[in-house]
Amino acid sequence: MNRPLVIFLGVLVLGAAIFTGSYFAGQRACANMMQGADDLSWLQTEFHLSDAEMAHVRQLHEGYLPQCMKLCAKIAAKKDEVAVALANGTNVTAEVQKKLAELGELHAQCQAQMLQHFVDVSRAMPPEEGRQYLAEMERITIGFDGVEQSMSPSGHGNN
Amino acid sequence: MNKENTYPADEKLGALLRESRVSPALPPRFQENVWRRIEDAEAPAKSGGSIAWLEALVALMLRPRFACATVAALMVCGILLGAHSGAQIARHDAEARYVASVSPDSVR
Repeated sequence: MNRPLVIFLGVLVLGAAIFTGSYFAGQRACANMMQGADDLSWLQTEFHLSDAEMAHVRQLHEGYLPQCMKLCAKIAAKKDEVAVALANGTNVTAEVQKKLAELGELHAQCQAQMLQHFVDVSRAMPPEEGRQYLAEMERITIGFDGVEQSMSPSGHGNN
Repeated sequence: MNKENTYPADEKLGALLRESRVSPALPPRFQENVWRRIEDAEAPAKSGGSIAWLEALVALMLRPRFACATVAALMVCGILLGAHSGAQIARHDAEARYVASVSPDSVR
């Protein structure tokens, strides 16, 4: 291989290395810099909340967490019961069905409580930001926008 | 010198020498081979054109001013694109942290 070609390829490799190094350095620096202090920091940056609004949201959040954990513990216990009932036989017995229904009821309670919390938080925000927050949280947690389409008759096909 | 040319014996001798010089017979396809060798000789000159172009480019790249400007441009572009990507990553991470805090996986 001749010398100019070797130098040219070397320059290209060096340039690619400089660009890649700069890219990852910038990415890491920016990600570290923008990393929020706590779980709620996203709300303040995304929905441009004032300190007073943020304090109200924080109060709601701290009030909601114990209720959420309590229901989560009930759901976990009910899942264990369903697992035990399923392990006792090979059929879906009446007991298994009852436990599944209870589990579904707990899930519904938990989701209703969660949605109520989202509504409360959205009311602590300016109206437009509140609407955006509520829509975003419903989309992420309940799966609105996506679930309905996949559950529609057309989503199931014609079988 | 002029005297020498006037000798008739020398003229005779010269004529004899010219006659005695035998011109060798040309090998077969002599002319064709000559042209082929000429073409072969020109061929490297053509490929040398691309080498010259590459040499000029390398010379430009190795100029300190051009090299510094290129390195600076690559670093600025890399940092800007990386910062944009980092901001997106940080935003998604923060969103995921908040969602995980209010909606455990077990209820989704």
